[in-house]
Amino acid sequence: MDKHQLPDLIINGVSGGAGGTYNNVNMDGVGKVVGPIVARMFKGNGHMNLNDDLTAEEAECNGVIKVMGNMRFGTLKVDGVLNVGKSFRGDSCTLNGMVSVKGDCELEDFVGEGSFNVGGLLSAGHVDFKLQSQGKADEIGVESLVIRQANNGFWSKMFSGIIPKLRPELCARTIEGDFIDVEYTTADIIRGNIVIIGPGCTLGRVEYREQITVHPEAKVGKVEKVGE
Amino acid sequence: MEDDLISKKQLLDLTGISYGQLYRWKRKQLIPEEWFIRKSTFTGQETFFPKEMILSRIHNIVNMKDGLSLDEMADKLSDKASFEKVSITAKEIIERNIVSTTTLRKFGESLGDESKYTFEGLVHLFAVDRLLSAGEMSMEEAELLFRTLEEKVSRLESGSWELFFVRKMGVSSFILARAPAELWFDEGVRLVSKMTYADLIEQLKGKLAYKLVE
Repeated sequence: MDKHQLPDLIINGVSGGAGGTYNNVNMDGVGKVVGPIVARMFKGNGHMNLNDDLTAEEAECNGVIKVMGNMRFGTLKVDGVLNVGKSFRGDSCTLNGMVSVKGDCELEDFVGEGSFNVGGLLSAGHVDFKLQSQGKADEIGVESLVIRQANNGFWSKMFSGIIPKLRPELCARTIEGDFIDVEYTTADIIRGNIVIIGPGCTLGRVEYREQITVHPEAKVGKVEKVGE
Repeated sequence: MEDDLISKKQLLDLTGISYGQLYRWKRKQLIPEEWFIRKSTFTGQETFFPKEMILSRIHNIVNMKDGLSLDEMADKLSDKASFEKVSITAKEIIERNIVSTTTLRKFGESLGDESKYTFEGLVHLFAVDRLLSAGEMSMEEAELLFRTLEEKVSRLESGSWELFFVRKMGVSSFILARAPAELWFDEGVRLVSKMTYADLIEQLKGKLAYKLVE
């Protein structure tokens, strides 16, 4: 590649910037960027608004970040709230907070704690997630999926009674995968090789190939073994 | 059209792959997004695939998997250019059983230099051979088809085409249309066979994949 050093984009305080190809993008405070950003390293602290695509090898989002376009990344760390207008694609994502994606979500590793909302398909290699409030996706297709409810204290229980969105549970239409281990999940269909259904699940139908375990506190409409 | 599609569940049963593998290959763009066709059925919404294309694609992936990483494979499968550069000798075609000896002997020479066949030429040979070996077409008809392909395909600029082979009162004819095409015939017409360019190249890619691995 050429030796030319790419510029950095640094925003401090309340300011704006233009899109482009950067080496480092560092934003602290309140910022708005017009145009697509391509960066090696993206760091956002505070309240950021990007009205186009974001592509970064490494990204770190602390605070409230809004990306109107597509988001591509190698690794991503989120502490706070991330909103993506279109699709969300990357290698690994560590989440502590909330992610909301309007389009499809394609990840190799998806770990963390908090909540997520995916409008389309959530496709991932491994998902290991602790829900503090609702996790939602239209469809889920994974190699392995482990969903746990984060420690459910008194306050959480009390709020979730008032606002359904705060109830820590996973909602999806279909869940398909090789290894599925879920609790507190509502879905129409779960299809998998090895399926472990934990407490608090409400499922329409479960299809499995190799192994199934159903917790006595789970409500399952129909269990079926398929393929041979 | 129902026959041309295969549901996700059938596909997994047939090929022995798992959900995880399917999604992984999709993420790596080994299987194009357009092949995932959503349809509602009585059990809710289901995903379907174009049958021949997905079966040969999965066959290709499974066979190439040992030699290459998934990323390398995605590059090779997605770009047709790497296949277009492939040239193959008559001997290899017979050895690899890509086209039968009869077809090759009959039509091989007209493609020019005997020792090197181009990808496009091979597609035509392959199409003719498929119909011939299925016993659906006589030798004279094969000649007609081969001539038609050679002359007319280059005029279809979009590249992708479909071929309809029909018979009426013992008279056969070939119809070449730009894909995607839907044709309706009168009652007396029997559609003997239909082939799409996309299917053909997908199958050929499978047979030629070894060339890229080397």
